[in-house]
Amino acid sequence: MSLRDQFPILQREVNGYPLVYLDNAATTQKPQVVLDAMSHYYAHSNANVHRAVHTLAGEATEGYEACRTKLKQRYNAERVIITSGTTEAINLVAHGWGRANLQKGDAVVLTEMEHHSDIVPWQMLAEERGVELRYVPVLPDFTLDMDVFSASLEGAKLVCVVHTSNVLGVRNPLEAIIEQSHAVGARVLIDAAQGVPHASIDFTEFGPDFMAFSAHKMCGPTGIGALLVTPAAFDEMQPFMGGGDMIETVTVDGSTYQTNEHKFEAGTPRIAEAIGWSAALDWMTSFDLDVEHARLVDIAGWVAQQLRELGMTVYGRHGPDDAAVVSFLHPTINSDDMAHLLDARGFAVRTGHHCAQPLLQRLGISGTVRASFYIYNTRDEAEAFVAEMKDIVETFA
Amino acid sequence: MSFYPAALQELIEEFQEIDDKRERLEYLFELADEVNEFPTSQWSDVTRVRGCQSEAHVHIEVDQGLVHFQSGADAKMVQGMMGILTIALEGLAPAQALMIPPDFAEAMGLLNTLTPSRSNGFRNMFDKVMADIRLQVEG
Repeated sequence: MSLRDQFPILQREVNGYPLVYLDNAATTQKPQVVLDAMSHYYAHSNANVHRAVHTLAGEATEGYEACRTKLKQRYNAERVIITSGTTEAINLVAHGWGRANLQKGDAVVLTEMEHHSDIVPWQMLAEERGVELRYVPVLPDFTLDMDVFSASLEGAKLVCVVHTSNVLGVRNPLEAIIEQSHAVGARVLIDAAQGVPHASIDFTEFGPDFMAFSAHKMCGPTGIGALLVTPAAFDEMQPFMGGGDMIETVTVDGSTYQTNEHKFEAGTPRIAEAIGWSAALDWMTSFDLDVEHARLVDIAGWVAQQLRELGMTVYGRHGPDDAAVVSFLHPTINSDDMAHLLDARGFAVRTGHHCAQPLLQRLGISGTVRASFYIYNTRDEAEAFVAEMKDIVETFA
Repeated sequence: MSFYPAALQELIEEFQEIDDKRERLEYLFELADEVNEFPTSQWSDVTRVRGCQSEAHVHIEVDQGLVHFQSGADAKMVQGMMGILTIALEGLAPAQALMIPPDFAEAMGLLNTLTPSRSNGFRNMFDKVMADIRLQVEG
């Protein structure tokens, strides 16, 4: 069975045309093995984890913890806290690490390229604690202003930077950012929601203190993600959600907490989702991600060039390390109209501000149309997309 | 049974006959020509339709007992929806206009064409237009 045939949703039609799914930066589709794993869990092993001694509880616990083990192995991380996704993982750093380690006047360095999920938690903390936020601008070539970045580091306690922009597909110079940040004693948080699905990453060798990402952008289920943490940063964190599973003992006078990752996973966790993500992680080993990534970036670069020839403004550079994301605007056809016309022929793309309004403000626009490619997308689909774009431009421009 | 003015009833039937989504969109785009232009220089917070993904502005005047509807938007789809509202409302007595139920977009099959945010945007536009008519009549 081909890789593509393993995704049942890709067999369907939309508005009478074969689905061409190009909204992968928002969420990816799920292969049958992920659907089967989750269904099998609910049909055969459904139970709560970590407490009961019965067989089902044991199976559920094994399934849930296997996800953590696989994440630790795949990304070479000592500490993996399972969260609801990237957003919760970043909020966990803001509340669990930020509140315990940032005082009034401390600086947090962000970039204009961040997703709202890596801006708003810090603005909330800044308001509460009087923390200073410094934003690194984006240059006209869609890269970060590294001179401003270097100058921003003085007195910085934390640097938060997006691995790969969800709008531009641009992969940031993370190695330099991590090295310079650590040189001034700042901790580094990488929002890797768009990076992890496209690149093999060794967290320990790579070197940030925190790395957040989501399962659903790499063929896993929605509602689950992870925060990878170095042991040193982990020891500096305090829990911010109290409840079941995160405690050691509870008396009416007070409580003591778990010392491992469970300390940050209050309440019944996402068991079926963890089992589904495990299946996705196993499935991701069935092909070479680097080879697939090179193929997709090649397709994205070709699409970008074709769109430019059709008169579009394309935002991004489509280098070998960038994600296969093509953001564009037509000078006269409204982006929402464009997306509806594409949908009418089965093409799923995203429009709007992509939860990155500061970046769009810097670019002087309010939104883009975004086509984003993933491992099941083919050159034929890219060609069909370009042909449809030509038809739309010829008919409506 | 909903009451629709004859022109609106006719439009509903025309939309119902179009199966292809692209053709339905193209027809909706054509209806943008029906809009009484509301100049962007007059767009303000008071005229803005909230909850629309793109900029959409409406302005109602009741002149000599008849509704006059001006509107403008940056997306052709929204302009098309404004065109439909123009066909529905323009030149009616306020009392008649206020009797039009909001479900005609559904009857036209337009809510299949529109995403949920657009559908909400359409309802917000409809509600704002009706509220503005009421305001004009009641002062």
